[in-house]
Amino acid sequence: MDHHLLEVAGTHVSRLEDLRLVTGSGRYASDWNLPGQLHACFLRSDRAHARIVSINAGSARKHPGVMRIFTGADAVAAGHTRPMTILTFKGKDGMQARVPARPALAHERVRCVGEPVAMVVAETALIAQDAAGLIEVEYEELPVVIDPEEALAAGAPQLHDSVPGNLPFEFEAGDAAATAAAFARAAHVTRLKLAVTRVAPNPMEPRACLVAYDAREGSYTVHVHVQGVNMMRKQLAAYTGVAEEKIRVVARDVGGAFGQRSLAYPEYCAQMLAAKELGRPVKWVATRSEGFLTDSHGRANFVSGELALDRDGKFLGLRLDWIADMGAYLTPTGPVSHIRNPSTCLTGVYRIPALYGRWRTVLTNTNPVAAYRGAGRPDIAYVIERLVNQAAAEIGVDPAELRRRNFIPPEAFPYKTPTGSIYENADLPGLLEKALKLADWKGFAQRRRQSETAGRLRGIGISTVIENTGAGLFPKDEVAIEVAADGAVTVYSVSHSQGQGHETTFAMIVAEALGIPTERVRLRQGDEDRPLFGNHTGGSRSTVGAGSACHLAAKKLIEQGKTLAALDLGVEPSQVEYANGTFRARDSQRAITLGDLAGAKAFSATAEGSFSSTFPNGCHIAEVEIDPETGVTEIVSYVAVDDCGRVINHAIVEGQMHGGVVQGAGQVFGEHVVYDRNTGQLMTGSFADYTMPRAGLVREIRMEEHPTPSKVSPLGVKGMGESGCTASLAALTNAVIDALRPLGIHHLDMPLTPARVWGAIQAAKSRFVRK
Amino acid sequence: MTTIEVTVNGVNYSREVEDRMLLVNLLRDELGLTGTHIGCDTSQCGCCTVHVDGRAVKSCSMLAAQANGAEIVTIEGMARNGALHPIQQAFTECHGLQCGFCTPGMIMAVAGLLKDNPDPSDEEIVHGLEGNLCRCTGYINIVKAVKRGAELLCGNGDKSSRR
Repeated sequence: MDHHLLEVAGTHVSRLEDLRLVTGSGRYASDWNLPGQLHACFLRSDRAHARIVSINAGSARKHPGVMRIFTGADAVAAGHTRPMTILTFKGKDGMQARVPARPALAHERVRCVGEPVAMVVAETALIAQDAAGLIEVEYEELPVVIDPEEALAAGAPQLHDSVPGNLPFEFEAGDAAATAAAFARAAHVTRLKLAVTRVAPNPMEPRACLVAYDAREGSYTVHVHVQGVNMMRKQLAAYTGVAEEKIRVVARDVGGAFGQRSLAYPEYCAQMLAAKELGRPVKWVATRSEGFLTDSHGRANFVSGELALDRDGKFLGLRLDWIADMGAYLTPTGPVSHIRNPSTCLTGVYRIPALYGRWRTVLTNTNPVAAYRGAGRPDIAYVIERLVNQAAAEIGVDPAELRRRNFIPPEAFPYKTPTGSIYENADLPGLLEKALKLADWKGFAQRRRQSETAGRLRGIGISTVIENTGAGLFPKDEVAIEVAADGAVTVYSVSHSQGQGHETTFAMIVAEALGIPTERVRLRQGDEDRPLFGNHTGGSRSTVGAGSACHLAAKKLIEQGKTLAALDLGVEPSQVEYANGTFRARDSQRAITLGDLAGAKAFSATAEGSFSSTFPNGCHIAEVEIDPETGVTEIVSYVAVDDCGRVINHAIVEGQMHGGVVQGAGQVFGEHVVYDRNTGQLMTGSFADYTMPRAGLVREIRMEEHPTPSKVSPLGVKGMGESGCTASLAALTNAVIDALRPLGIHHLDMPLTPARVWGAIQAAKSRFVRK
Repeated sequence: MTTIEVTVNGVNYSREVEDRMLLVNLLRDELGLTGTHIGCDTSQCGCCTVHVDGRAVKSCSMLAAQANGAEIVTIEGMARNGALHPIQQAFTECHGLQCGFCTPGMIMAVAGLLKDNPDPSDEEIVHGLEGNLCRCTGYINIVKAVKRGAELLCGNGDKSSRR
């Protein structure tokens, strides 16, 4: 890692935010407190599907220190019942999404384990917790359905009267007839049924929220985690019916997000109700166990894929039947992520003339699913890249060569895909060759023999992917820049870091444009006193959107400064030049600095811009070794060659890539949210039961950049926060399958735990013996 | 209720605490030291790691009452006289943190690890980090930060600085 360090307060740091975070001075959601605050505890359903017959809160109410107990009836009476959806397009045959109501506290019926049934508000968190334990709920159990395919079947238990067949939305993309014709003339068809497993995002900071109500103004202040304050405020308003301008969202440091923070959760809306009713602030801090039960889950896509090839191994058509498990209710981001992103990138990096996909979102008695790092992009990449490797094995062609034959060639960009997306640019053959060289693809056969000699199975896996970065919920991004008399520059953005390092990247962008040291620029994200229009951080969009707006705002600041400086310097604005923090009259020695100019007059500029999707792409190659005696897989090599356009901060980009790749590795090798099929109980409700990736899972990632600059942004950047896991799911799984193929194993679903791999090896050996 | 006396980052405190209060809640809620974080409820994540009488301890796995008479160091007590502790320095130099939520616990755990083993191998580092979870970094830069921290602690700061 070779990157220059910034200097803050006499200390050298990688990022401007670091000094605060390594000293314990960060301010996360649970660190907020207000005078007179009360504490909430939620009593949660321990049934996956049941009618609430009665709630007896008598003794809980009498418990000393309890202020009040709220139930579903209170949520319904207040109208806190309608979570927002951002499904903006129509489905199959013009279908409109059927969005079931979800009272902030369950009313009359519970539909998944963990759903909040009552909220106790008390003087302390422990009193609230004790009192919640005194509430008696009588349930009448209803049949449970966990598996989304079973939920679609005739006769399945129905979750919502308003959603017949448990099917809230059906969508199709591509041309069914043309694709059928392509398959009819295919020389070979490869088929796989793939599970992109349900996982728990698990940002390290558990959820927390503190709500205060101002009775004079009729307004709420909500201290909570966000990916951007605007999206949170919009959702809270929609959910509760409170006007957006009456909600002030306050957030500082956010302890990771990965899509999980993009939602206004029912608990927050219940707290709004309590804060108003009781006239005191109400704080709630979730436990990790509550997080496993109720933080939005990710992925949970089950896909049947078919790839048609001609005699020469050219792809003719791709057909997908995609079932997206949404859990018991629709989240704002779940359905849209798992449909729009996969359909946008349905052709992957290949020229596939005929495409067809059918998507069914399904409701089950499980916790709701939302966007999770990549939000459908890793899922589609996984499906396509698994199919391509499987096809290569079936027709006996090197998987790299099969990719070469089918890549969209560099000269075909901008490339309009058969589903109507326009990929801006990429050099796929260049990426591949660089990655093959870095991974020593040619030397693999020898390495495999060496492993065999040592009694181990070795496999190599490749994935070549492209993804659309998020265009955003709001049509533009605003950034403001303010200069103080001491020359300090403050930048204001809506886009809110959850670890991505915006304070450094955006400062670098502004510093470069203004020609001043990065250390002089400070970023304020989501400042509640400085409202701006714009998007949250999500969909790998921040540097493209807010970052570009930072650049534009800095340029605007210079132009406005020239006009102001001209007055000071006694010349025409056209005679003022700007460089490195100083305005200078062209023909004289007279000059004025940014700070001095600000000292005289308020000096700020606000710029906005609309930035569409960029298309980062990459080729990752993983190599694994499996111990057949234990089923343990070791990742022995991981290579990533990525095109994320121009890179602003190499250390940050490298760090994002590490995190993404390992998040993918976590899903491939261990993570899996499991519900009991019969009872709907969550079997993986703690870090003791859910396998989080740990140090040592991926020892090293060898990376190279292969940029083709984007014109979407004046900076030439492409998004990249999600690229790592988009590519790693397939690269790692393909490597494991490659290692197992000699045993006749061609498919395994994630997670590839030692038990699953060992079991597959044992089964294969016994087949072999029987033959 | 029990009355306890503790020294935290060199300051003496006396507090009356509920018997069931955890050490981490004493630090965060009673003493306002919110740099120590709570990331789970099953003692797996290590976000709440502090030093109790010189040993790295998950402060969620200990009652406040058990800390009576103890000398405690939290993340807030690591930097001295305006200079970062070498391990804090190593974490930022190596970009070993992203969201920063696990970082205080990581730093305290690594300080404990390097105290026991000032020159750990890769295997020993990975083993030593088993009890600390990070969701952002993929751990690769954290392992680098442990090595860099070891260098800085033994005074070899310039050997391969600014890698």
